[in-house]
Amino acid sequence: MPQLIKVTRPTKIELIKLRRRLSLASRIQKLIKDRVSILVMEFLQIAGQTVEVKRGLLDDFSAMYKALSLAAGYHGYIALEKEFTASEGGLEIAAGLRNIGGVKIPAFELKKTRQALRGYSLIDTSSWLDRTAELSEKCLEAIVELAELQRSMAQLGMEINRTKRIVNALEYLIIPSLQATIKYLNMKFEERDREEKSRLKRVKVLLERK
Amino acid sequence: MSGELPYDRILREYLTGELRVLNAHLPGKQKSLADLWDEEYPHVLCNDGSVHLFKRKELRYLDSLIDSGERKALLLPILIEVNAGRGEMAVLCPGEVEKKVIQKVLDMPLDVREGRVTIYRPQLALVRKRLKTTTQYIFSPQL
Repeated sequence: MPQLIKVTRPTKIELIKLRRRLSLASRIQKLIKDRVSILVMEFLQIAGQTVEVKRGLLDDFSAMYKALSLAAGYHGYIALEKEFTASEGGLEIAAGLRNIGGVKIPAFELKKTRQALRGYSLIDTSSWLDRTAELSEKCLEAIVELAELQRSMAQLGMEINRTKRIVNALEYLIIPSLQATIKYLNMKFEERDREEKSRLKRVKVLLERK
Repeated sequence: MSGELPYDRILREYLTGELRVLNAHLPGKQKSLADLWDEEYPHVLCNDGSVHLFKRKELRYLDSLIDSGERKALLLPILIEVNAGRGEMAVLCPGEVEKKVIQKVLDMPLDVREGRVTIYRPQLALVRKRLKTTTQYIFSPQL
């Protein structure tokens, strides 16, 4: 049963205030419900994408390891190690934020992934190493994308939980208690009216007797 | 409000704050695709002071949908208006380019009414899937 809100005095002014508060709460409830549904839609979309990217990443990883083991077999580990040391380089990732219905989620973009020259000697190495490098670059792109998607999912999940709590509080606590208090005040005023009428009737009877 | 209990005041302020938060992420000023194209990190500043980053991949996709002469006319991010309590959304289209973009993304003809193109949830999901960073929601409190 909804709890009644404490009102200082049962007056018409209080009733008007409560009605205003009820209309504000109802408006906000509609807005927040829409927001939750949009956030859920985005969350499901991101979850689907995450599964897709993760599956792709696993396939790429397996292809990359196959290519790497072939390259290692062809060149030998020592020669390969030497070429890898030469091709070491920094990564450049543009990191920023994007907003989904008031939720700030990260946006990453890998820059300069595909390079014409990767740093290793093209004369001493075979196409197996080129294939390995190409696949590992693809994996790197997928890892960055996956990082963004997973973080987005976590952020959206937290926000959905928080917003759902507000929607539930409005739906099951605040709005019913406001409605119950308004009903209580209306009944109180009707009771007062009835008391007033019976008092007047009594006074009329007394006056008539005199 | 005089005579208001602290609990009620807190509740009222919290609810009003929640309404304020909904649209705090809107961009202070939209930028044209041509301007964003030239930026190293394409972005816009939002009303809450945060930076909204656009992905180059999406800008390239948008560029493929329009003619090169229309780059200056396309303002980004494209705003999607969410009306409270109604199942439909509206894409704000101040010009013809936005309509053209949405038409091509959805692959269907659309009508502009009062500078808005009405779309429904399944279509919204498609638009958001293709244009993640180049579209933004705007919550309309009008009932």
